[in-house]
Amino acid sequence: MANSNLPRRIIKETQRLLSEPAPGISASPSEDNMRYFNVMILGPTQSPYEGTFVQLLIGGVFKLELFLPEEYPMAAPKVRFLTKIYHPNIDKLGRICLDILKDKWSPALQIRTVLLSIQALLSAPNPDDPLSENIAKHWKTNEAEAVETAKEWTRLYASGA
Amino acid sequence: MLRRRVSWDVTNSLAMDDVHPSSDSIEEEATTKCYSDGFDDNEDPFFLSDDDFVGGDDGAADALLEDIKEDEIDLLKHKQQDYKILNTAEIRQRMERDVAEVSTVLSISKDEASILLRNYNWSVSKVNDSWFTDEFEVREKVGLEKLVVSSDLSSNKRKIITCGICFEPYTSDRIRYAYCGHLYCEICWSAYISTSINNDGTGCLMLRCPEPSCRAAIGQYMIDSLASEEDRKKYSDFLVRSYVEDNRTTKWCPSPACEHAIEFSGADGIFDVTCRCFTSFCWNCKEECHRPMDCDAVKKWILKNSSESENVNYILAYCKPCPNCKRPIEKNHGCMHMTCRVCRNEFCWLCLGPWKGHANCNRYMEKTDTEDRRKKLAKESLEKYTHYFERWDANRKSRLKALADHQRVKNEEFKKLSESQDIPEAYLEFITKAWLQVVECRRALEWSYAYGYYLPDKDPAKKQFFEYLQGEAESTLEKLHNCVESELKEFLDVGGLSKKFSEFRTKLVGLTTVTGNYFEKLVRALENGLCDVNSHVIKGSEDEVEDRWHCDRCTYANPSSLKSCKMCFIK
Repeated sequence: MANSNLPRRIIKETQRLLSEPAPGISASPSEDNMRYFNVMILGPTQSPYEGTFVQLLIGGVFKLELFLPEEYPMAAPKVRFLTKIYHPNIDKLGRICLDILKDKWSPALQIRTVLLSIQALLSAPNPDDPLSENIAKHWKTNEAEAVETAKEWTRLYASGA
Repeated sequence: MLRRRVSWDVTNSLAMDDVHPSSDSIEEEATTKCYSDGFDDNEDPFFLSDDDFVGGDDGAADALLEDIKEDEIDLLKHKQQDYKILNTAEIRQRMERDVAEVSTVLSISKDEASILLRNYNWSVSKVNDSWFTDEFEVREKVGLEKLVVSSDLSSNKRKIITCGICFEPYTSDRIRYAYCGHLYCEICWSAYISTSINNDGTGCLMLRCPEPSCRAAIGQYMIDSLASEEDRKKYSDFLVRSYVEDNRTTKWCPSPACEHAIEFSGADGIFDVTCRCFTSFCWNCKEECHRPMDCDAVKKWILKNSSESENVNYILAYCKPCPNCKRPIEKNHGCMHMTCRVCRNEFCWLCLGPWKGHANCNRYMEKTDTEDRRKKLAKESLEKYTHYFERWDANRKSRLKALADHQRVKNEEFKKLSESQDIPEAYLEFITKAWLQVVECRRALEWSYAYGYYLPDKDPAKKQFFEYLQGEAESTLEKLHNCVESELKEFLDVGGLSKKFSEFRTKLVGLTTVTGNYFEKLVRALENGLCDVNSHVIKGSEDEVEDRWHCDRCTYANPSSLKSCKMCFIK
């Protein structure tokens, strides 16, 4: 079905994602639908989303799903966090507030660039353009406490299991 | 009659005396335009009453006459500002003219000129100024930097290049690029342009190269050579839209079916324009004509009418809250034993006490009067609004009806009339004039009621003057409307006597002029804030005349001591 007639662009992108993955990011297409990707992003170091070191890095693994709509690459891919995350630009359903996923999308962008942008968003939350009002407010009024909560949530939910 | 009613302080006698030219001009109209005589002006009770105005002080009035005539000429100028009505072809012409001008002056292609103009709201002078200040900066800003790549491409047509979007290999003759030289295949370009034209609205006019870090603009040439026929048409329509909407000197006619635009290059200000489709609107705010109201007040009034806020007042005035669940309950009949439909609470309507164990509540008990006062005020506030709204709305409806009637009479009945009266249709122009006068006056009267609503209660002299002017204007308008509506009918079917018809004509012409004068006076007085009257603001410590402000949401008149609205604050 969706796999027959897959555009060359998607095939090439998939191949490159698998052969030369970006650091801290893995994306693999689902077996029955080549337009659906299971994604894992490691929380960036120095951010509240990074894993904890106990001999080796544990946790800080965020699962996402990514779907390439029929119009791709003319339309942006649809991406959503599956792992619960405490972040002002991500709501409780995992939806992400990121310009390149909306009006700033360009067909010259790729799955790789999108995922790198999301990773960057984890390093630099932007409470001035919030998707989750409460979290953004928390971030602005008491950043230290908000960061603690984010770390707590990372420990609780982002185990990668 | 007038003298007796003028009891307020009129600082400028003009307010009364400028009735004079009106009576003068009626007689003039009546005698010069009448095509058959045999009647006496003075027998007409209408003219008699008008003569009363002039009274004794003819000398003073004559001196004033010249001033007034000049005033009227000014007024005429104010009304007939220089504007042009443009159809789509004319808009396109203007757009092409501007593009050509910029292209010539700056020695750039029309493609580039068009991009520049779009970025500077189609202002030729702004483009020139910026360009000559710093061409490099302008080029960077609008995405017209000089071409980067190309020599390699044009020299070697068979070179294989991978498209940056679909990753397919193409020979270089099938690869296209904007001013920046980022390479994509024709198919991806077409899809990219089509997606933008069909999703971004006028935003597609600002289309840039797909490369995210690149700001190179995509011009008309790319669109024309890469988009489908249908998309090209849409793009060209968007260009016209942008030309009219972004340009400070043009505005669309607000009528939904109309495709004309109005061009006016004078200063911004409040004046009315009329499109070829007969839609009239205020140039400044694009609402329908609303003299004598100013644009801000009109906005407030429209917002008020559309909001649900009046319901709040109604509920407060006529409903009581269920003592248990606090939902508003309106009682329309029956006994005092109430059962709340929502929470099933049973209570007495009069004392709001629980019905269980209720015996009687007829004994008077002193209670805090805030509740009652609150209700009383809310009720008054609602009644005031209803008064003005009803009249505003009635005049509005009457205006629309008059417009329709006028069309009908003109299209269907003029011919009948000219046959039955044996006169050429051109002679019936006075009926058209009368109908248009009715329409115009209904409009002014309509807005004078909205004006009245916002007139502060605390200035009774102004209010009285306003009501006087409005009353006079309204009663002449009723006469005129009745005359053109009902009396005209008599001549339609029956071949009435020509003499009678000429009397009718004289009367109607006279009424048209007089009504026009009354309204001109009303509109002028309201537009200058009724400044002919000395303000006597009542100052008093008594509660009744306490300074109040009206809540924007629910219109409740709050005492000035309160900061938030007493009525609609959220509990």
